[in-house]
Amino acid sequence: MSTRQGRAAQRKSEEERLALLQGTLDLLILRTLRLGPAHGHAIVKAIESGSDDVLLVEQGSLYPALHRLIERGWITFDDGTSENNRRAKFYRLTAKGRKQLDIETSRWDRLAGAIARILRPAAQE
Amino acid sequence: MWRKLFGGAERRRALKGLDQEIHDHIDREVEVNLARGMTPDEARRQARLAFGNVTLVQEDARAAWTIRALEQSRQDVRYALRTLRKSPGFALVTILTLSFGIGANTAIYTLIDALMLRSLPVPHPDRLLQISMTAGGARESINSDSLSYPVVRVLAEQRDLFEGVGGFSTFTFDAGPPDNVRRTPGAFVTGAFYEAMGLVPAAGRLFTPADDQRDAPLVAVITYGFWERAFARDPRIIGQPYVVNGRPVTIVGVTPPGFTGAHVGWVADLTLPASAVAQVRPELSSLLGPGNIWLRVLARPRSGTSLEQATAALTVRWPQLSPAGVAPTFTAERRAGIETARFTLRPGATGWTNLRDLFRRPLYVLMTLVGLVMLIACANVAGLLLARATTRQKEIAIRLALGAGRGRIVRQLLTESMLLSLASGVLGLYLAGFLSRYLVDVLSTGPLQVTFDLRATSQILAFVLVLAVATALVFGLAPAWQATARRQIDGLRGATGHSLRGRLLPAVVAAQVALCLMLLIGAGLFIQTLHNLRSVNAGFDHDGVLIVDVAGKRPLTFYQEALDTLERLPGVVAASVSTNTPLSGAGWSEKVTIDGRTQEREPAFVAVSPKYLETLGVALRRGRMFSASDQGPRATVAIVNERFAERYFSRQDPLGQHFTATVGQPEVDLEIVGVVSDVIANDLRAAAPPTVYVPYFQVQVMSQNFSTLQVRATGSLALLSDAIRRALQGQMAGTPVEVRLLSAQVDSASVRERLVTTLATGLGIVALALASIGLYGLLACNVAARSKEIGIRVALGAKPRNVIMLVLRQGVGLVIAGLVIGVAGAAALSRLVEGMLFGLTPLDPMTFITVSALLAAVALVASGIPARRATRVDPLVSIRAE
Repeated sequence: MSTRQGRAAQRKSEEERLALLQGTLDLLILRTLRLGPAHGHAIVKAIESGSDDVLLVEQGSLYPALHRLIERGWITFDDGTSENNRRAKFYRLTAKGRKQLDIETSRWDRLAGAIARILRPAAQE
Repeated sequence: MWRKLFGGAERRRALKGLDQEIHDHIDREVEVNLARGMTPDEARRQARLAFGNVTLVQEDARAAWTIRALEQSRQDVRYALRTLRKSPGFALVTILTLSFGIGANTAIYTLIDALMLRSLPVPHPDRLLQISMTAGGARESINSDSLSYPVVRVLAEQRDLFEGVGGFSTFTFDAGPPDNVRRTPGAFVTGAFYEAMGLVPAAGRLFTPADDQRDAPLVAVITYGFWERAFARDPRIIGQPYVVNGRPVTIVGVTPPGFTGAHVGWVADLTLPASAVAQVRPELSSLLGPGNIWLRVLARPRSGTSLEQATAALTVRWPQLSPAGVAPTFTAERRAGIETARFTLRPGATGWTNLRDLFRRPLYVLMTLVGLVMLIACANVAGLLLARATTRQKEIAIRLALGAGRGRIVRQLLTESMLLSLASGVLGLYLAGFLSRYLVDVLSTGPLQVTFDLRATSQILAFVLVLAVATALVFGLAPAWQATARRQIDGLRGATGHSLRGRLLPAVVAAQVALCLMLLIGAGLFIQTLHNLRSVNAGFDHDGVLIVDVAGKRPLTFYQEALDTLERLPGVVAASVSTNTPLSGAGWSEKVTIDGRTQEREPAFVAVSPKYLETLGVALRRGRMFSASDQGPRATVAIVNERFAERYFSRQDPLGQHFTATVGQPEVDLEIVGVVSDVIANDLRAAAPPTVYVPYFQVQVMSQNFSTLQVRATGSLALLSDAIRRALQGQMAGTPVEVRLLSAQVDSASVRERLVTTLATGLGIVALALASIGLYGLLACNVAARSKEIGIRVALGAKPRNVIMLVLRQGVGLVIAGLVIGVAGAAALSRLVEGMLFGLTPLDPMTFITVSALLAAVALVASGIPARRATRVDPLVSIRAE
């Protein structure tokens, strides 16, 4: 229990963190890779830190998502060596993926906007 | 394109090292946790917790690939089904066309598989070796698959080389209780036969060498099928006596299910040791001596002994062993031949059958013919698809414009082809069942009853699957490729006309005409061959003649009484007995001495009763036939055929001339009292040999054990057959009376030609229909596509004749191209069947010309219909159509 408290002191408590909405992981991966190639662990960390540790990614679910994206041709990967000399796969965005990111982003904006309008109707006026 | 279609390589590359990647991921997380100040254990635990279930992740990553592929295939299949449902006519024609092709190919393949490819159902059939022997002679060496009984026995004694050496020969037994005797197909086998096969009995025991001894108790082994049919698998029959050829025989065991003997095509339900022949057919006991070669041999070498080692060992040992194969009565030449004999060992996994020699070539010819039909069928369907692609061009263009990849659309179109092809495969398998049974029926009209297990084995299913998939690729790929290659904008504009002037479709139709012509010329050559064989002057009249089998050792009085009985039956015109009949496959020849000179070539001999010529309708040219007055224990007169008279008495009147022959007795002097017309012996393709007829009741020869009775009758032969059976059963107790048609025996002599001709003709007609449909389809499409152009021409004053010519010109051009290629192809291929033809050359001009003319005429009709339709194009309608 002591370590758990210690950890909570450094990071947001479990209660404060949010599970990802269905389908948003793909979008976040694409967005992260927009910044440049990265290996799996780095992508997770980037998403977590990018959201100020609010978003909780079940790290394992990253990999099926990566393969789904490769299969659709939105990302691809190169075999390379990581910082501490370990072999790793570096994932990067394809041209098709870049286009898809734009589509998905605007779709997300519309969705988020629409939901926000429903939840806070007063804000419209 | 293939990568796009199936994407296998990319998937493999992405999934490779996934394990390691996950492992590294967790390690990194552990490092992060350590940096945060966790204990190593806690750091690892937290890292694992954060990652989740590793196995599940791996499975999900894999699934990410397959689900979408499956999803797409499912979509493709659903879409294809929907499209096909919208054009049921197209689907029906395609499936019927293809299933016919697949069915015909599968049927022939089934037969080839059953006859030549299938291994015997024994353990490790690949280790079996077939032993044949080449006996040297002064003039020629004779290679034979058959060995004598003593030779097989000494080979079987070489136990250090072989686990077993088994000789076998088919035989028909009269088996069953006295009130229900049945002709039962069976075999004689040597003692070590089942050891060589390596079989484990389903019940009881199989033979051992101890069963194959003179004076050993009579025992029999039966097949599982016979056990089932005749004894309802009753285990109590083991050890029970059973009556075979009037002798009590103990059934000692049952072979495992599926095994029917080593003679392919012959189900040996009842097997006796070879030595039993002396007891069940005493008149044939000379089979156990070295003078008769009648056993086919399969051996199983000891493990570690190779074919070469076994062959070498036999060569070394033969000088010591060879005395067993020699009889004291052998001439010096024959003895030397045996002593210097060589053995040839061959892989024997597929057993042995004489049917192979008989039907190998016909089956290969048929396989080629059905292959041609398959190509024609593919061409037809490819043509249909091309035409269809034209009408679907708009749809495809829209899909391409919306961003569908070309690979994706090709895949979609191929899915359609695969569906059609697989449906045809199922239907074709069904058709093949009928066709192969029909073919086996035709085979069985030959000299031997043929029984095959024609159930679809996994090998045949694999054949159908491969054929169907290959077919789909052949007929589907090109149209799909072409359909997607077209400039999209044309498709959207609805400009459908150009495609038909593309090169692909006309080439397909020309190829069809060529293939069809090759097939038809083949069929024509075989039809003519069969016709020539049928019109051979055989020298006798087979219509209305029945044959009664009375094989076995019988007193001469039996035959006389049987003839008396037969002649009293209503409808019988004449009855006779003889040692053999034309085309029966049997024969007897002897040396004759004329003017003190023994003739080198032995003429054929037939012992006949007085009414033989009348019964068989053989013409008496000069002199007289035998009569009741030719009596006494020894023959004094003979009748010869014209060929004999020409060869030996060309300068004098043959009547009254004398010559000597033994005819089973000490040499007798025979006076020629009559000359008859030539009668074919055993080969329709060969001229009648010089032949001597001797009076049946005055000679004693081995051939009499194989005699038949002949009956010429008027009225219903079926009714008479029943009457004959009833009338003779009393005199032939213990043997079922077998009555056959002489015409069936004549037919059996041409079974190969009939097999090939019937099938080639049927296939030829189908091919002709397919090719004319293909041509018609092409031109009809073309007329439809060019209706605007035709309308303009008519509006500008073109006459119907000009319009017809416009359409016909294209058709005629294709047909001429097809005919030229086809004639060349046929000329190249027909040389391969030269040996199977009779009375004509493989380049028979009449056949080539007639068939080409026939095809041209049919093609003209097929092009005429769309051409006439073109004249009915209304310029006002067609020009305004857009």
